[in-house]
Amino acid sequence: MINAYLGVDVGSVSTNIIAMSPEGELLSNKYMRTNGQPLVCVKEGIKLLKEEIPNINILGVGTTGSGRQLAGILLGADVIKNEITAHATATIHYYPDVSTIFEIGGQDSKIIFIKNKCVVDFAMNTVCAAGTGSFLDHQAERLKVPIEEFGELSLTADEAARIAGRCTVFAESDMIAKQQFGFSKAEIIKGLCEALVRNYINNLGRGHELKPPFVFQGGVAANIGIVKAFEKEVGQPVIVPKHHGVMGAIGISLLAKKEIEKSGKPTNFRGFELTDKEFSPRTFMCDGCANNCEVIEVEYDGKISARWGDKCGKWTNALTSATSKTNTKNNKDKELVGV
Amino acid sequence: MKIGLPSGLLNEYYKSFWKHYFEYLGIEVVFSQETNKTILDEGVRRNVAEICAPIKIYTGHVVELMRQGVDYVYVPRFVSIEEREAFCPKFMALPNMIETMVPELKGKIVTHNIVAKSDDIATEENFLEVGRKFCKNDEQIREAISFARNKWIEFRGLCVEEKYNCDQANTAVIKNRLSKLKNYPVKIGVIGYVYNVYDSLISMNIIKKLNELGVGAVTFEMLDESQIKKQAHHLERQLFWSFSNKITASAYHFFEDKEISGVIHVTAFGCGPDSFLGKILELDTNKYDKPFMTIRVDEHTGENHLQTRIEAFVDMILQKQMECCV
Repeated sequence: MINAYLGVDVGSVSTNIIAMSPEGELLSNKYMRTNGQPLVCVKEGIKLLKEEIPNINILGVGTTGSGRQLAGILLGADVIKNEITAHATATIHYYPDVSTIFEIGGQDSKIIFIKNKCVVDFAMNTVCAAGTGSFLDHQAERLKVPIEEFGELSLTADEAARIAGRCTVFAESDMIAKQQFGFSKAEIIKGLCEALVRNYINNLGRGHELKPPFVFQGGVAANIGIVKAFEKEVGQPVIVPKHHGVMGAIGISLLAKKEIEKSGKPTNFRGFELTDKEFSPRTFMCDGCANNCEVIEVEYDGKISARWGDKCGKWTNALTSATSKTNTKNNKDKELVGV
Repeated sequence: MKIGLPSGLLNEYYKSFWKHYFEYLGIEVVFSQETNKTILDEGVRRNVAEICAPIKIYTGHVVELMRQGVDYVYVPRFVSIEEREAFCPKFMALPNMIETMVPELKGKIVTHNIVAKSDDIATEENFLEVGRKFCKNDEQIREAISFARNKWIEFRGLCVEEKYNCDQANTAVIKNRLSKLKNYPVKIGVIGYVYNVYDSLISMNIIKKLNELGVGAVTFEMLDESQIKKQAHHLERQLFWSFSNKITASAYHFFEDKEISGVIHVTAFGCGPDSFLGKILELDTNKYDKPFMTIRVDEHTGENHLQTRIEAFVDMILQKQMECCV
């Protein structure tokens, strides 16, 4: 038997699943594209994990990311937490003296400030794509450079073209102008990296003192061009953790471990057979009042196991009162709905 | 005769006065229902796109009242409640804007200027003339003003003395239902205009969300005038807008108050006055060892982002509180 805690981070672009030994050793690490199907993706990942480590024994499960609630119900999570707490937990675990965390994912970016191993402040950019992985993806496509080669190519340039990074629309017209002006592809890419970092620091770092040590994580940290642009901007070395792409999942597995050790209860994990069970969420519009809430209802193994999305609590409560008399598993679901 | 009071803008702060004033004059008072999607959509449809969500919502409430078949809709023109200060131009032009955006309402808008020396607006100058529309007896109007003023004073007293928030204090004064306040060990200052913080659609019930996470919310109405004035020195000069000044002052009060662990500013996208005070607070928060977060909402904001931010903010504060870490 190999004991492990499971950490699942369901984001808009990628879904990450990791297994961590109680001693803090990373046993398995899956980074997958969500492709708009978070549940299929999680099931697939769990299956792969079981194939990879057949004698794995799950001690606890945690979910995070924008799809944390749905994934949490699917798996029977012991802890469901937001991605800021999860990311910070993982970083502090590996780098206890960290002061500033840069995190850039597919569709959002965050900056987290740490003091004495505590989160003291954070900022999050969710409305604008101009400081995120999608921005780079877009520009790479326009320049016909595969995103994987993007960073390396930028390093070959001595000079960077100055590109407006505030908005993807302006960035495009700027890029075309710079191309016609005679800048090379590498110079433009270097300029894009610097534009993204400038935009990120302007948006999220505003009014904050950026103190070293710096840690840079998230999917975009794989891009060496951005790492270098960060180092140029802050004038300090920037650490990229080995498992920078799955830090959220690592963090939530650590929190799951903490939760299980604190409560002393066995895990709520539904077991690996969950991948064979029917799990179907559906949404319906409640026409009870003018709010027309979109209610999400989740059926697991033929039984309704969770509902949320209603402002007034009519549907959530109906389920709560119905299940409170049944087994404890369902009671856990009820709690999850409230998280 | 029925008069409708739109449940938007400053209604939450003054409805205890307005309701009792009109009722004393023998008029039935109807409030529009809590903001919902239909009200918002109606407001969005009738307004120019650039205007802030609170005005769109207010317009929606006016339309809702009209559909309920009221005889009049009360749309006051707030001019000033403090010497050398004013209101955002949208408040000062509110009756005219409503007239334009809801043309069906022609002749049904009851309006008057509100000019006062403080947020106690219950004066004869403000409310005698408008009362004559419904009542021939000046003495009765004076009585109505004084009767309603007492209700408002009671409302303010509950906020300041008992630390009721606007919602709880209004329920107590208007519906005669006292709230049982839970004592939360950890408190967060939630600053913002009443029409943002208490609008369930704009703020997505931020106070309730915080309470569910085990944290109490303290708001600017809980401070009295002297506490607000005490904080004025933080600004080199006062802003032009009275409620903006109150909110800024309350933020500094919360920054200095050891009982308060953090401050959240709820603001509507595109709010002019908030672009000043938000920035000032953001810069000044570094002087205090307290987390500060801005939640900026407009009519398209999804609830998930808000939930994530609030959760992370509370996690951060609770962890700090425990002095232990991950």
